[in-house]
Amino acid sequence: MVSAINRDTAVAVFLLLFCGVFYAASFQIEQTSYGTIGADVWPRLVLGVLFVLSTVYLFQSVRMGPDEAVKQKGFLVRYRNAILCYGLFLVFLLTLDFLGMLLGGVLFVFMALSVLGERTPRQLAIHAGVAVVSVGAMWSIFTFALRVILPEGEVLSIW
Amino acid sequence: MLIENIIGAFGEVVQVKIMLLMALGVLSGLVAGAIPGFTITMAVVLTLPFTFGLSTIEGLATMIGVFVGGLSGGLMSGILTGIPGTPSSVATTFDGFPMARKGRPGLALGIGVWSSFMGGIFSAILLMTLAPQLARIGLEFGPWDYFSLVLFALTITASLAGENLTKGLIAGALGLLVATIGEDDINGVARFNFGTDALKQGFAFLPVLVGLFAFSQLMSDVQDSATARKPLMEKGAKAVRVEHLAAIKALAGDWVNLIRSSLIGVFTGILPAAGGSISNILAYDQAKKASKRPQEYGTGCPGGIIASESANNATAGGALITMMALGIPGDVVTAVMLGALLIHDVVPSPSFIGEQPVLAYSIFLAFFLSNFLMLGTQAIALRAFLLVTRIPMYMLAGVILAYCAIGVFALHNVTFDIWTLFWFGMIGYVMRQLGFPLAPMILGVVLGGIAEVNLSRAVAISGDLTLFVTRPWSLFFLIIAIFSIVFPWYQKHRGRKQWTLGFLPALCLALAPPLFMMGGVTRPIVGGLLVAVGAWLLVSRHRQGWKLTAPVEHAARLEET
Repeated sequence: MVSAINRDTAVAVFLLLFCGVFYAASFQIEQTSYGTIGADVWPRLVLGVLFVLSTVYLFQSVRMGPDEAVKQKGFLVRYRNAILCYGLFLVFLLTLDFLGMLLGGVLFVFMALSVLGERTPRQLAIHAGVAVVSVGAMWSIFTFALRVILPEGEVLSIW
Repeated sequence: MLIENIIGAFGEVVQVKIMLLMALGVLSGLVAGAIPGFTITMAVVLTLPFTFGLSTIEGLATMIGVFVGGLSGGLMSGILTGIPGTPSSVATTFDGFPMARKGRPGLALGIGVWSSFMGGIFSAILLMTLAPQLARIGLEFGPWDYFSLVLFALTITASLAGENLTKGLIAGALGLLVATIGEDDINGVARFNFGTDALKQGFAFLPVLVGLFAFSQLMSDVQDSATARKPLMEKGAKAVRVEHLAAIKALAGDWVNLIRSSLIGVFTGILPAAGGSISNILAYDQAKKASKRPQEYGTGCPGGIIASESANNATAGGALITMMALGIPGDVVTAVMLGALLIHDVVPSPSFIGEQPVLAYSIFLAFFLSNFLMLGTQAIALRAFLLVTRIPMYMLAGVILAYCAIGVFALHNVTFDIWTLFWFGMIGYVMRQLGFPLAPMILGVVLGGIAEVNLSRAVAISGDLTLFVTRPWSLFFLIIAIFSIVFPWYQKHRGRKQWTLGFLPALCLALAPPLFMMGGVTRPIVGGLLVAVGAWLLVSRHRQGWKLTAPVEHAARLEET
């Protein structure tokens, strides 16, 4: 299967759109009566450079011609681990206020290890042990030695 | 003055607690540096949160310990398994691994350790003597010069970071753009917050850096399930006894190589963007060219290990010279180190060494002493390394991800920093997959604020923009920025296209005018020398009929490694 455009062209188009969005957003920057250059000047200068570079990138990618598209199944297999880890991290973040850093961290590490590694009963037990010991140790160091108040979470605060 | 400052710093650094923290830092750096897939940057980033609760000198001494340890750690896996732990020790494997396979792993490790030590000490001495001198030069810089210096740092990083210069420059520009998000330093106005309060303060530097670099690196490391589930090293490195005496004898017999390689390391480190990954190859190449028996290189020659290991450790001192004297980080590792300094309320600048000499020299002394600690803890690190290599990568990755979350939260005690880690972790991963180098982006994030502030100051002082090209230092940096942009093409076509023969003479001749403009005695003399070298290169190439000679490449060897 050959795609109509190559991956770099798609990225270049995305970057140009990105420049457009940020350029439009730069008009929302408040204008002040003080200061020698406005707060919008430097970002627009950077956006101008980024726009020129993205255009060059677009021309370079178009000149290279279309490339072999990655099959949908191949894509999912290839990036499965990364997608799952980012997904688990997102869940960890969304539940942080409820589960807290200790409980949420242990669950995240256990889930991540189980997703990435083998899922035999022995391995699952090892993953649980690693999760409890590693996160427990880190939580203890930061809480008791470094005096950092980590999110406690609603679950532990109830107990 | 120098002695006074060193004595003052000695009292601050040589304390039981600080020495223990430094030793712990060195040990962590050694083990992390030895693990293939982990980099020195990763080691430094992951140690940083532990130093938040420490005093300035304690924290910085620990970080410097990790930095020095990380540089030396790569040699262990490189010599024992043939897989370099970090890119800084790629050339070490060329001769270290063959020597180990010939039955002398203890000697190879000994030469590596002692070369690292000597390179580190050499650069520490230069750091203490050269950094104040460079800072004095830095005091001459106006905002125009600083702005052009930042531009040069970004262009050279982009040109050296990857195969595609355009992608490197885009990454740098994206980094500059990220730095503009949130309240600006000059007018105090919120930018690009898209109506959200959380973005009004912008992104904290460290979560961005940990996300871009560490998070995305870990995701790349576990991308392939089969590889991620195997122990880090299947070849099973065995513990060996380091042959110290034989190693010292080997070094004494090749001291010219040691000094030359250390000098290459220091000067590579001083240049922005050129770190240990470049210096070890450069030094190896020069050692081979200068050797009376170049055919022995690659077969287990001590000279190859000496060149690579002394150069990569010396690079750290060189990089610290630029960072401490000018406040400009040269590469990703020093960018993280700069972040560590800023967290501990230390802001390196040309005036910093003069204003806070004890603190500055404490940092220099910590670097000096870390090399001794590296020598002392190598044997323990070797055992720890052998234990760690039995763990599969996915376990380390899962645990470190959780640790990253706790670490970045500890920075400001806000959950938004973990969100920053998450978003930039994804951005970094996608960029890696698309072939964008991350180093220019990270430097863009770090240097963006410096560039903007100096541009604003320059415009405030005078509306005349020609000052960017009429001030000698600014012109000097702009010229090398232009040449750094052309450098990837020069590197690609060197020995194949005739215009490349004119690159070096043109660089020499172009750099001479700003040096003449600087006045004084030394700089015009240096300018004159550059004109002479440029003219000599032109004449000699003309005499040879502009004949092309293919450069010696190490690409094949690097691919094998």
